[in-house]
Amino acid sequence: MGYTYDLEMKIRPACREMPPYPPKYITLATGEKMVAREVRKEELPLILEVIEPLIKVPEDYYDIVAVRFYAEVLSMIRHRIVDEYLFVGAIDSEVATIVNGRMVNDDLGMSLHTITVKRGLRCGALMFASKMEYHMEYLNQKEIYLVAESPIGFRRFMVEWQLEPRFEERHELGGVPTYVMTRKCYFDAKPRLLAGVRPVPEDLLAKNYNLTLPKEYPQLPRWHR
Amino acid sequence: MLELEKLYLPDKNVYAHQCPECGRLHYPSVGRCKKCGYRYYPEQDVAPRWEKKGYKFWKRVPLGGSCRLLTYTRIWALPVGFDQAYLDFGVVEFANGVKAIGRLAVDKPQIGMKLDARIGKTKEYLGQEHYGLFFYAK
Amino acid sequence: MRKVGVVGIGHTVFGNLRDYELIDILAYASLDAMRDAGIDGGIDQVIVGNMASGMFNHQIGIETALVSNLNLEPAMAEAVGNGPASGGSAFKVGYMAIASGLVDVVLVVGGEQMRAVTGWEATDIVASLEHPKVEYPYGLTLPAFSGMFARAYMEKYGLTERQLFILAVKNHNNAAKNPFAHIQLPVTLEAISDTPDSIIINPYIAEPMRMYHLCPVSDGAAAAILCAMDIADRFKKKPVRVAGVGSATDTYCPHNRADLLDLKAVRLAAERAYKMAGIGPKDISFAELHDPFAILELCEAEAVGLFEKGKAMKAMERGETQVDGRLPINASGGLKAKGHPVGATGMSQIHELVKQLRGEAEEGRQVKNPKYGLAVNFGGFGSNVAATILAKE
Repeated sequence: MGYTYDLEMKIRPACREMPPYPPKYITLATGEKMVAREVRKEELPLILEVIEPLIKVPEDYYDIVAVRFYAEVLSMIRHRIVDEYLFVGAIDSEVATIVNGRMVNDDLGMSLHTITVKRGLRCGALMFASKMEYHMEYLNQKEIYLVAESPIGFRRFMVEWQLEPRFEERHELGGVPTYVMTRKCYFDAKPRLLAGVRPVPEDLLAKNYNLTLPKEYPQLPRWHR
Repeated sequence: MLELEKLYLPDKNVYAHQCPECGRLHYPSVGRCKKCGYRYYPEQDVAPRWEKKGYKFWKRVPLGGSCRLLTYTRIWALPVGFDQAYLDFGVVEFANGVKAIGRLAVDKPQIGMKLDARIGKTKEYLGQEHYGLFFYAK
Repeated sequence: MRKVGVVGIGHTVFGNLRDYELIDILAYASLDAMRDAGIDGGIDQVIVGNMASGMFNHQIGIETALVSNLNLEPAMAEAVGNGPASGGSAFKVGYMAIASGLVDVVLVVGGEQMRAVTGWEATDIVASLEHPKVEYPYGLTLPAFSGMFARAYMEKYGLTERQLFILAVKNHNNAAKNPFAHIQLPVTLEAISDTPDSIIINPYIAEPMRMYHLCPVSDGAAAAILCAMDIADRFKKKPVRVAGVGSATDTYCPHNRADLLDLKAVRLAAERAYKMAGIGPKDISFAELHDPFAILELCEAEAVGLFEKGKAMKAMERGETQVDGRLPINASGGLKAKGHPVGATGMSQIHELVKQLRGEAEEGRQVKNPKYGLAVNFGGFGSNVAATILAKE
């Protein structure tokens, strides 16, 4: 096809080694245990399959979030985005929620998207808190830029965490008004909003080692695989 | 107060209303006295058109001072117009028997504790200020 | 006074029905009720129970819109509002219309669409039930009253938050079998109360009430067809008799009550209903109580005489109020798990009573041999309560 190794190395970005995210588990209201962990490289194509049905759901802005998220995951697979991480919340190995973000530099993080298949149990809010935990406590950054594409996202993220508006800064995602999570915002709200118990018991980790696709989507009542 | 002050400045007081026949205090205001049934005629400077008819006027008694806490709560999901994360509220009983709800400014509330009621600004929404009861530890 | 019976019932799914119009939601429940009764028309009066359609949906005169939507002109039509007790009051007004002899067949439908506005606006609109000078400007919401009430009750009788969760677990388990319920996820007591994450997934909303003590914001409608008992053979199914109705009021501002823990309006409304039915609390087989806040299921059960004051929680812990217990309470899941579209709740309780008395409830939810069912619809914060007793005949 005319590609050479040299050309590929010119186009591919130079990624940094980011610290790992230790897995944790959260007991949800129904008694189910959701394991929050980082995805492995080989699981990324499965994540694409998880997101794809949501691209056609206009309710609650699932379509725009899903299509942008799909692009970000594809860029991870094909090495066209730098310093991105992706966490998954899995219940009995079935993918319930996925979140991603980027490390811009040592002090600044860019939160990208949060999308949840399982509804009614606040999984999205719990995985969002895990994302913030990674930026603040493992990457030790000073600030994170966030935007919300849907009103539910705005309520769960901007209002509950009492984020600082900073509209003069541009977020990567299309210029929607930017809000900033500072270390103060994070540590003030952490006792109220961050859940999770570590370490995860061996059997629970083993059960969620191989992820599976969700069997049904509440957002798509007549869908089937 | 000057005429224009009365018109434009908010009244920084919370009042109970006293029946002129039997003296019972009411908070909030009512149409008829709860004890003797006497009709409500507000104080003279508030309703000048009744002054010549010989009705007895209800007095406004400002609320404040010592009270006792009956129950309390802290609420996290606030309505439109409030930016705080949470607000504390309490129900108190004054020495004159009037019960009222107001904002609680006490660190560790306990039912039965003695409090001091003062007036403070409860909210400002679309330029309109509202003043109400705040309860502090004695 | 003529005897009145319920001959048809209808119900929509409770939940997020944002994509539908309010009138469509009401019409759906009404048509279901008409189909259940086996009629296509012949309704003399339509009564709609609704709290705040002007604020939630920016539409008033919904009773007239509904009559047109259902092709029921020139039936009489009125709307009845009583805050969260609109459904119960609408049923009472329908009963009065037939008992007085004015009409023969009445369609009563209660419905609300709260999700047309955001969560803050919905809290704000419900907060307009409070006194505009003495309560609302402070930032009080209805859950705040339940928090203060629960705090006082817990101090007096030693109740704990965990004990109230037992009620939430029961209601969620019941609602998981109810196809109309908003939340059909059964929850476990350990997960919402004991694990270290429980404070995050079950946070405080109005201390000491937490998220799983409070009902969700829902849309929905429920309807019933009432008729005079002497013409009930026109309809498909055997009527369920309306044995007693009662309602009463208490002070508008809850802080003005002589005893903050005394739900006087509930007690008097139930007493009036018992008197009319000629029975007492001991004859009630099952009840649907108004529990947007878990503490109210407990206190209403005591106020209507089903349990002694302060003793209800022990009985509930023993399982007496489970579906297979001595006195099933909220077999439909209650407002906690079934949902609380404010205007629809009263009629939804009637729907459940009729379904149980007919023996048509889903498996796992059917009360054994019910004879008398009690529904209590609580308005404001105990300011205006409507109670209804239905009998199997």
